[in-house]
Amino acid sequence: MDGFTISVLTNIALFSFLAISAWILLIAGEISFGQQAYFAIGAYAAGIATAVWQWPFVAGIAFGTGFGAAVGALVAWPTIRLSGLHFAIATLAFAELVRASLNVFSYQRDIDGYATGPDGANGFRDIRWVYEAGIEPGAYLVIVAGCLAAVIALVALMARGRGMARLRIVGEDPILAAMQGLSVARTKIAAAGLAGGVAGMGGALYAHLATYIEPAQFSVMTGVHALAYGLIGGLGTVLGPILGVLIDIGLLESLRVFSGYRMIVFGGLVALVLILRPRGLLDERNVHRISAWLRR
Amino acid sequence: MIDVVQNTLDGLAIGSAYGLLALGFTLIFGVMRRLNMAFGSSILVGIFAGAWLHGQWAAGMIPIFAATLAGAVLAAAYVERLSFAWIRGDAALASMASSFALWMQLEDGIARAFPQRSYAFPSFDILPLLELGPLLLRPEFIAMFLTAAVLVVALHLMLTRTVFGLQVRTLSESREAARVSGVNVGRVAFLTFCIAAAIGGVAGFLIAATDGQISTKLGLWITMKGLIAMVISGLGSLRGALIGGLVLGLVEAQAQWYLGASGREITVFALLFVALILLPQGLAGRADAAARNEALRRL
Amino acid sequence: MLEIRDIKTSYGKIAALKGVSLDIRDGGLTCLLGPNGAGKTTLIWTIAGILKAQSGSIKMGGDELAGLKAHQIVEKGVVTVPENRLVFPEMTVTDNLIAGAFSRRKEKGGVSEDLEAVLERFPRLRERATQEAGTLSGGEQQMLAVGRALMARPKILLMDEPSTGLAPIIVEEIFEIIGQLRDEGRTIFLVEQNANLALDYADHFYLLEQGQVTFGGDPGEVDHDELIARAYLGARKAS
Repeated sequence: MDGFTISVLTNIALFSFLAISAWILLIAGEISFGQQAYFAIGAYAAGIATAVWQWPFVAGIAFGTGFGAAVGALVAWPTIRLSGLHFAIATLAFAELVRASLNVFSYQRDIDGYATGPDGANGFRDIRWVYEAGIEPGAYLVIVAGCLAAVIALVALMARGRGMARLRIVGEDPILAAMQGLSVARTKIAAAGLAGGVAGMGGALYAHLATYIEPAQFSVMTGVHALAYGLIGGLGTVLGPILGVLIDIGLLESLRVFSGYRMIVFGGLVALVLILRPRGLLDERNVHRISAWLRR
Repeated sequence: MIDVVQNTLDGLAIGSAYGLLALGFTLIFGVMRRLNMAFGSSILVGIFAGAWLHGQWAAGMIPIFAATLAGAVLAAAYVERLSFAWIRGDAALASMASSFALWMQLEDGIARAFPQRSYAFPSFDILPLLELGPLLLRPEFIAMFLTAAVLVVALHLMLTRTVFGLQVRTLSESREAARVSGVNVGRVAFLTFCIAAAIGGVAGFLIAATDGQISTKLGLWITMKGLIAMVISGLGSLRGALIGGLVLGLVEAQAQWYLGASGREITVFALLFVALILLPQGLAGRADAAARNEALRRL
Repeated sequence: MLEIRDIKTSYGKIAALKGVSLDIRDGGLTCLLGPNGAGKTTLIWTIAGILKAQSGSIKMGGDELAGLKAHQIVEKGVVTVPENRLVFPEMTVTDNLIAGAFSRRKEKGGVSEDLEAVLERFPRLRERATQEAGTLSGGEQQMLAVGRALMARPKILLMDEPSTGLAPIIVEEIFEIIGQLRDEGRTIFLVEQNANLALDYADHFYLLEQGQVTFGGDPGEVDHDELIARAYLGARKAS
């Protein structure tokens, strides 16, 4: 594979974490405009862990993931009972609060004669673990893809057990779900924690690829894109959000056939798809059909 | 002390523009029960139509104002058809995603047609600064405040005194009830959408004329301000939307003065977050909405 | 089985239940009649813990249910078959039934046996087991909702207007199912506007008017026509 293909594939994989994160909450019936906050939190936490505290890479990624999950659950605890739109705006407010706070957040230490660590709006330089370990882009793509596969496997496992069904019924009809003996709030908080962890892991991996991160990268635009990917790709399966990312980044941006007119084509395409399939391309009905066809 | 008063005046002025944006959002949300993410970008289309007229023929204020309004309304009509009218009645998420896609489309289209970083917009610099003792009042701020007040009153009269207003109110209560009582639901929704865009266009024109220059970044900015002001106002009442805008403007102006730009951002979003948790129905929320949500909050 | 005492529930400032007291007897069908807007669904939702009562008590054996969360009440064995929102439309019939067993934490085993028993009871659900529940007819959805409630191994079934929106012949069928469940010795609390049919099956009934229980008794003791008129129209004439 040439360098361009590798970088496109890595991008797709990294964005997929964010898209899956937003998708998990969509399944639980909540719209979040703010999953980029957990991506940012994961990126900063993992970067601080490996660059400032000199932790090993795996521990750094785990720290970023765990931190994202913990903050996700913590933020959901007071907000999850808000009605739909209020929750959505609360996620937006929280994400912008995180971004604005990172703009003034400085935490630097002297590592080998260089001041290392986040420096407010100037960003966070030299997250060099991967670079120093001599990991090639191709090898890093394998690591990112492996982590993504683990996330997909986890969701698939949840779909096999009852976890995913719980999320779905809570999302579809909370009152009827409560009548089945589910604690709606607890289920949604668990979903928010999971979503925060997935985004955090993506952020942690992103920080080590980019080596430089800054608050402006984690804007509302990023989060709204992540949300749209799931809605376009479909709500029926975890592959839906990935399909959304593939269409946008993979097809339109990378093939460059629509050079310059990407968003104009993409926007119109999405609007048309949604008129025909309001729950995305891979919606429940299509997933059902495809799985029935595969079983044959 | 004098600073506080000056900040309050400035805050109320920009806050009335926020209030107008929230008014547009609230009208659409009230009738559609859906979020129009492309609201800011339709206004952006209007503003750039105005800027184009200004750059091309150095037109006067009135034609530019008309072009801004026309651009906003046309773009909104396009969004209404694709993202709302043609999407199935129970698919609120799809409307939101679709309007987001059109936001991207419109914004990218504008960025392509207007590649420079920023464009000039005619400002009211012909009017003199007003001095009230130690206080300074920019005339465009007074214009903003008065326009907002007039528009809210006019809208209120339209909603309460006209047949069309009655239809809008029926529709916002219940789509089904409106349909069975003979309201042409599609037409009323479409017109409401256009009125909301026109109000947003007025706000966009005032904001652009105050700044004297515009960029494509304004689309996101408008959406954020309008959305926040609408949500703190409690979704649904027009007076509330205006109050929400004023509160947002006030808080921003004071925080900007005392804490600087990043302090302002942190304060606004922290306040918004806390306000949502503590006042989940907004500042002027309605009691019946409280009852409806009561069941869901317990689960 | 369930002693409801002086329950008051309101929406915002509107009082929907103004002190309701009644008993749901063990192993029988207790029916609550009343016109639209009398507060019947509010009472079901209050018992189920979806709405919170301002005051009053709901006792099951020695346990106080008022104040518990909805999922805790289901765990106690009080299971609701709601009106209108019957099924999860995007999920298959089987998945809908399995969702009914989500509350069974302690005794997880036996789900597949119970599923088999429900499909045995409702052969039409077996035929449609892999279909999405949203594609079922109204009567089938009602059966599915009853079947799902049975999956929770309920001690008390709360049924909210099972006849809503169904053709008369289907309503008869649903009531036959309810009759069967009663004959098996289950405790059922049925809320109905269709007093005519409900009185044929009820062991005991109450009349709810404007948020208050105004009358109660055994179906044999009263003039059905008078009662039916009040249940439909909510006439405030004392009998």
